[in-house]
Amino acid sequence: MLFLISFKSGTPIYLQIVEQVKAAAASGALHPGEALPSIRPLAEELRVNRNTVAKAYSELESLGVIETLPGRGCFLKENHSGLRKDARRKLLIEEVDRAIVQAHHLQVPRDELLELIHERLDVLDDKRRAHEGKKED
Amino acid sequence: MDSSTPAIQIENLCYAYGRAEAVHDLSMTVQPGRCYGFFGRNGAGKTTTMKCLLNLLRPQRGQVRVFGLDPAKHEVEVKRWLSYVPDQVAFYPWMSVRETLDYLASFRANWNRKIEQELFERFGLDPSQRTGNLSKGQRTQVALIAAVCPETDLLVLDEPTSGLDPIVRREFIEAVIGAYQQGIPGQRTILVSTHLITEFEGLIDEFTLIDRGRAVLTLDADQARERFQKIRARFAEVPPEIDLKAALRVRRDGRELELIANGSGAELMERLRQHNPEALTTESLTLEEIFVATLKA
Repeated sequence: MLFLISFKSGTPIYLQIVEQVKAAAASGALHPGEALPSIRPLAEELRVNRNTVAKAYSELESLGVIETLPGRGCFLKENHSGLRKDARRKLLIEEVDRAIVQAHHLQVPRDELLELIHERLDVLDDKRRAHEGKKED
Repeated sequence: MDSSTPAIQIENLCYAYGRAEAVHDLSMTVQPGRCYGFFGRNGAGKTTTMKCLLNLLRPQRGQVRVFGLDPAKHEVEVKRWLSYVPDQVAFYPWMSVRETLDYLASFRANWNRKIEQELFERFGLDPSQRTGNLSKGQRTQVALIAAVCPETDLLVLDEPTSGLDPIVRREFIEAVIGAYQQGIPGQRTILVSTHLITEFEGLIDEFTLIDRGRAVLTLDADQARERFQKIRARFAEVPPEIDLKAALRVRRDGRELELIANGSGAELMERLRQHNPEALTTESLTLEEIFVATLKA
């Protein structure tokens, strides 16, 4: 998988890596069981500190998104959330709240926000279907 | 040495060349395992500070400690734990690259031949070449090999990439990440002084900005990028006077405004929002932009 790091986004670099893996897993761009790049080549390629990549991977592991097989590397987990339902909900609530606050500031009303969420879910479903279609070819 | 001992501790360091003060009351702590940036313009006092760490200069006031030891009293121990790439690399010009590395290895208790070979291949160096015939970039590459192979706990880099072409600069940084950082995490510390900040941006955990011998800013890199923001606003009409004193810098042109904020981004955004801007965007400053914004403010 290829990453894109920006120093201007305001998001810590390790979190950018975490979020990109999560997004790739959710959209189906990264398949369960598929390998992630190893820490050293990825750090070199992005020219970021190895510890930053290691921190991102250990965060992904503790979130249950990836697993490390000793001597073989890191892989996307089959069921990529090892967290309990309430913990998962709690994590999501923070994100949803952030979007709601942002919508308020951008003066996007309730109906439009809900519509937008439906729209984005459809986009993600389409992407996932496209990835699955390709896999069967 | 226990793991909580800072790799480098500088307290109230002062150094003057005659009446010209190079470093004034500088304090800085580098924790083990970190990659620490030491940023400043030419002549800001970076090299003088580093020379005090290496016992090439003696502090006139204050003190420096490397792994808890005074480099002036424990020079041999300190030098055993650190390796150094100076800003001006000089070798005996009649020696070949191979002879130079063997000569340097003879001073070291440990020398990793596997890493040496790997770096030779990466840089495409010819071991039989005389060092006097090397380009500046190749001399720096040899110096980096000599600094990485002893597998020391602390790597000190003084303006390592100045004057090198962009490809060599990138390869240098990749080699630092790949070859030096592959040791036990938390045990390989890097101190890098540079004014070419962009290239090192991803490597830096924490930094000190030094200006005219004084530390002006010390921050964690992620926190710095969170604190320093560039805010752009565009209004439908020329806006009335808005109180923007909290901004580090303000640029105005007709209906457009650009602010640099240091920690007051949220407050400034709110003020701008009250005037219903057509567009309002924000982005983080890179470390280089923080450097410029801080020194020009």
